[in-house]
This record gives sequence, C-alpha cells and structure tokens, in this order.
Amino acid sequence: MAESRDPGREARSRGSAILAKALPYEHRHWHPVLLSRDLGERPRAVMLHGRELVLFRTASGLGALGNTCPHRRARLSDGAVAGATIVCPYHGYCFSRDGVGTSPGTPRMQLNAEPYAIEEAWGALWVRSAAADEGLPAPPLPALDRPGYRHIGTLSHDIDCPLEPLVDNFSEVEHTPTTHALFGYRQDSLASIEVSVELAPDAVRVINVGPQKPIPRLVGRAFGLSPGDTFIDDWTVRFAPVHIIYDQWWRDPTTHEPHGDRLHLGVFFTPIDRDETRMFTIVATSRPVGHFDVAMRAFVRSLVALEVRLDRRRVERLADPSPDLRGTRLGRFDAPLRELRKRIDQIYRGL
Amino acid sequence: MSSTPLVVDAVVIGAGPAGLAVSACLKRAGQPHVLIDKEAAVGAAWRRHYERLHLHTAKKWSALPGLPFPRDYPTYPSRAQVVSYLERYAEAMQLEPRLGVEVTRVRREGSRWRVETKHSGSYDAAAVVVASGYNAVPERPSWPGLATFSGPIVHSCDYKNGQAHAGKRVLVVGSGNSGAEIAVDLWESGAQVAMVFRGPVHVVPRDAFGMPAQRMTLLLSRLPSKVADRLSEPLRELTVGDLTPFGIRRPPVGPLELLETTGRVPLIDIGTIALIKQGAIKVYPNIAEVAGSQLRFVDGRLASFDALVLATGYRAGLARWLEGADAILDARGLPREHGRESGLPGLYFCGFKNPTTGALREIAIEAERIAATLSAQVRPRHAQRPPQDSAGGHTHG
Repeated sequence: MAESRDPGREARSRGSAILAKALPYEHRHWHPVLLSRDLGERPRAVMLHGRELVLFRTASGLGALGNTCPHRRARLSDGAVAGATIVCPYHGYCFSRDGVGTSPGTPRMQLNAEPYAIEEAWGALWVRSAAADEGLPAPPLPALDRPGYRHIGTLSHDIDCPLEPLVDNFSEVEHTPTTHALFGYRQDSLASIEVSVELAPDAVRVINVGPQKPIPRLVGRAFGLSPGDTFIDDWTVRFAPVHIIYDQWWRDPTTHEPHGDRLHLGVFFTPIDRDETRMFTIVATSRPVGHFDVAMRAFVRSLVALEVRLDRRRVERLADPSPDLRGTRLGRFDAPLRELRKRIDQIYRGL
Repeated sequence: MSSTPLVVDAVVIGAGPAGLAVSACLKRAGQPHVLIDKEAAVGAAWRRHYERLHLHTAKKWSALPGLPFPRDYPTYPSRAQVVSYLERYAEAMQLEPRLGVEVTRVRREGSRWRVETKHSGSYDAAAVVVASGYNAVPERPSWPGLATFSGPIVHSCDYKNGQAHAGKRVLVVGSGNSGAEIAVDLWESGAQVAMVFRGPVHVVPRDAFGMPAQRMTLLLSRLPSKVADRLSEPLRELTVGDLTPFGIRRPPVGPLELLETTGRVPLIDIGTIALIKQGAIKVYPNIAEVAGSQLRFVDGRLASFDALVLATGYRAGLARWLEGADAILDARGLPREHGRESGLPGLYFCGFKNPTTGALREIAIEAERIAATLSAQVRPRHAQRPPQDSAGGHTHG
C-alpha cells in the first residue's frame, strides 16, 4: 500500500522516466550534482533520484531543467545553448532558464520544461526544484563557511552504494583502523575511544576522541602532527539535503594543546538513483597561505581523495547494501545510525 | 484528608460529556452515585475551547444517551451550542453534579476505592468512573532556543480568537483538528498564517458529496481497518488528493489502521486544505531552532513570526492522581480498556477514545455499557449494606 502511493517510485521501478509525474520529495532540497569545472559550453545531463536533469550555461547565467523536452520527449542535453535559451535537438524548441518554451513552428503554443533553481558554490553546481515552494522562502544553501578556514578543493565520487549505507560509513569511526590509510584511530585502542552523540530535531552530532593511528612521517610533518597525538573527529549530520560537516583536529594527549592543521570537510550525498550515490567532498583547511601553496593544496586534496576511495572500496563490496537496519547487530559506534535513519526518512524523504 | 469518607456506591469524576452521559445512564439504571467536577460548571473544557470551534462530527451521531441535539441546531453545532446542549442535558436528565470538587488522589482501599478531593473530603466507593477527558493537561513541546522567541507563545487551550493577531505573522504548530481550525480562524482574522506539520497526517473531508463523511466512516467501521482503509482510499483521493506538493505527507498506513496502532486521529478538513492549496496558509516541516523572531525549520528554511500558537494537543494526565495507573494505561498515558472494567476491579474509563466514528458517539456507547456493568456489579454488594450508607446518591426509579 505504501509503495503504490508513491507514483514516482512506482514509475521508476517500471523503468520509465516519462510516467513519473510526481516530483520526488527529495528534489526540494539543494543537492550538489556536478563539479563546476565539468560544465562547459555544452549542456550536461545529470541524474538526481532517477530523474534526468540538464544543466547549461547561457550568456545570462546558469540553467537547470528536467531533461525531457515536453514536446516529444527528446533529451534537451543533446541540444545546444543559443543566447539565453537551450534548444532541443529534435524540433528546435527553445527553453529559457526558467523553463518557458517556445515552438518555432507553432509560435502561440505554450509549453514548459520542469524548472529547477541552480546555484554555483564551493566548486559545485547545486540544484533544487522550486515547484513545491508555494510562496515559501527558499531554503538557503547549506552553510559551510567557517572563519579561519580556506576552501582548497571539491571532489566528486560516484559510488555504487545506496544513500543510507554510505551515510552509515561516514557516521562511525570503527572502520578507520582497518579501512583508512592515514586519518583514523588505532585498532588496539578502539575500545577506549570516547564516543558522544548529541541529538537535535534536524541534526545528529557525534564526537570521537582517541589516539591517532600511526601515520607516515611525511604526511604527519605536512600536517604538523607528532606521533601519539589525540585525534578529535567531530561531525554533524544534517538532512536537507543529507550531508556531514566534519571538524577534524589533533591535540597533545597530555597538555591538550592543539597540534597542526585542522581539516574542515563537507560531505554531501546526492542519490543518482536507488542504487548509486554521487558524493561531493568539499575540503577546507585551517592552514594559512604559504610557500608551495598550490602543491600543498593538491597534496591535501589527494590525501582526502585517497581516503574516500578506500571507503568506496568497502561500501561497494557490501553483501547487502539494503538501507534496512533490521537484522544487523549494532555496536556502540553505531549508536547514531537509527537516529540518522529516522531523520533521513522524515526530513529528507518526507516519509 | 482527616474527615471520615463519605460512603457511596460509585463516583463519576468529570462533568463533561462523558461524565454527564455516564451519570444519566446510571440514574436510568437506578444506580446511586455522585458526579463530581473540579470546575464551576458542566462541560468546562467546552467552555474554554476557542470560539470558532464546531463539532467535527454531525449532530445526528454525536448526541448523548436520551436527548438528541435540538432540531434547530446546524449539522455541526458550534462550541456555544454544545455548551448549552450539555447544560440542557444535565437539567433534562435531572443530574446533580457536585461542582468545584477537585480530585487529588484515587487509590485502592481494600476492595473499595478512596477518592480524595482538595477541599471536599473524600469518598469511599465501590466503583469509580473516570471521565476527566483526554485533554486535561496541555502538551507543550520545546525546541532549541524556544525561550528566546520574541513574541507571544499561546497554547491552543488559551487561544480564544484571532483578533489580537490581525496583520501579524502567526505560526500554528500542530496538524491536529484544533491546529487546522485555528489556522483558518487566524486567516479569517487577517493574520498571515503558516502551519507546522510535524509528521505525516491523513486528511479526510468533513463532508463529501453533500453529506457528512462520518456516514461513510460509520459504515466502514464494521470492517477490519485495513479493508476499510482500502475501500475509502478512492474517496480520499477524489476529495483531498495528494498533498505532498503542499508539504503534507501521507502516513504509510491507512487512517483507521494508524488510529488503531498509534492513536493518531485523521485531520477532518473544514476548509484548511483549500487555503493551503491556494497558498493562503503556508506549510512548514518541524521546527529545528528558534532565535528571537526567526525560526529555522528542519528543511533549512528560515522565516520570522510574531506569534506561535501551539496546537500540540493534550495529555490525559491520569498518572498524576490515579494510583496504580501504570498497570492500566498505555504508553500514551491513556487507558487500555474503554467502556468496560479497566483491569482494576470497579474502575471504569469513559471518553478517552477518539475514533473516526466520533468521540461523542463513542461516549454514548461507553456510558450505556458502563452503567450496565457497574450497576450489576455494585448492586448485590449494596443490597448487603444498611441503606443509610448510600449517602450522596440520588435514587430515582
């Protein structure tokens, strides 16, 4: 019964984007869908919750529309930008950035492509459907700015794993000794790591404190760390859209004096469809601009990218990637998981 | 309470619709009892409710045993009409409520019940009927920063009308029937209204195709809830439709099944949905945080308001004065058994159920049943005691 009430889901399961009339609830949240640098002069198609959208740059700004031409269902992304419009490759119908269409052969015809709001920020393109706003103020883009930090790059990874188990991976540190190369905790001290969870209506915050696992000298020195430092991994998960803001830093185990650079990461989860997720990692550090800055930024980016690839290797190999937590045996590090599920269902999916 | 308790057969606590109905049925059965209420008049909750309130169920299926609603009343009587109906009911049934008697504790004393009151001594009774209502204590949820809110915060129990809110931005929190009606009331008073729907809710029309939808519910109520939900789905689809685009989510299970499993009543629409569809009333999800006049919602939206109306419901508050309540109340603090003995001998509850077929209709059914069981249970014991013990009763017939 619940299944049949969601026409979007029903249509997707039938493999038809055309029949999916109702907008997925999730489309009302801002999602990063593409790295800025990946959108040039040619329009690009992106997937969001099983729906295809087209992104394009015109002389008067960015545009995002449903990728289906309302005339005869051609892919707008196969067309080209002309002036302030995107032109359908099939019959030459033109659509403005807000979706208003004109037909070259039937000038009086009125037709509209599905409009999406689009913003460019943090090296990514963000879209949301404003169709359900009904005069409400638009939600702002997630706030990532924090004084003392500098944005040094944004990464995008397509991961063959549904949203929930992927978010789970990024919501516990128990996997860091086995899965990660650099940042994380020591296997032999896992049992002594402090885990605290704070709950709010729209957020779940987790703070972990424990000894940093041994780290190659070169990396340690680049970050200004000493062996035996305490690693503090403090993150907050929010749900509109689903994203995690990490604050990662180190301190001397006895004096509690902060050591080295701090990392500030924003990890956004954009479901491509039910089985695959596009993950965006927005990287910022507290390191001031210095010598070899370009090289240093590339170095830090590559370390973060390495860690994400290591996570990907694990979550893509799950025997059962189902979002259902029933039948799993959860430990103390998994305490936030049920709370995450509840909020993903209520806030993100509108269930 | 040091004074000797007054020995009676039965005490009925609460002189609202439920207490009055039970008292009338007991009287008809010739069962002596006392009817007490902490307030100064019968139907106190109905007197306090906001002015615009009308019955959400048709008068035909809302009357108490023995007295139909007057012919000249509309299908959905107003709050004031309900109050005068209750007064008339007490009078016509020759009930003698003892008013201003506040119960402080109800406890077991041997095989009998002891009802202690604030200033009026105590009763020693064979049976107690609790009819104090499920809306005794206002439920006031909190959100981070609520204390910093710069405007008034009014619970629906203190809301009278929208006069003070004309031209103001008012947020009504709660998607129950009072929230939906207060939102309309505010809009009619010229306020800019928004509502918070904290969770999914079923919306059913009050009327469909020129007749009360309650008629349909009554027919369906004989069927298992899953079947009834399935059958009524086309009607809801036709009259209300999919409200997800307007921010109103539908629960995964049907209205009757949801009511059975969680006690959540569907929203009986009296016009709120049309205003929401027009964009006159805006819909937000739950509040995440409050800072001054600005509210942040869980979806990240920000908006400012001049006043908050909390239509967040009530608790029955029984556990505070009813000894041994834990054993007979469910997780929501409501009795598990309605209209029959509660699991504790001689203890009955009436009017704690809010089925889709109508709370008042349910009260009428429960009252008849309680009167029958109670008098059958009490009378044999009563017969063994000397007659002067039945103080406080008013025996007729």
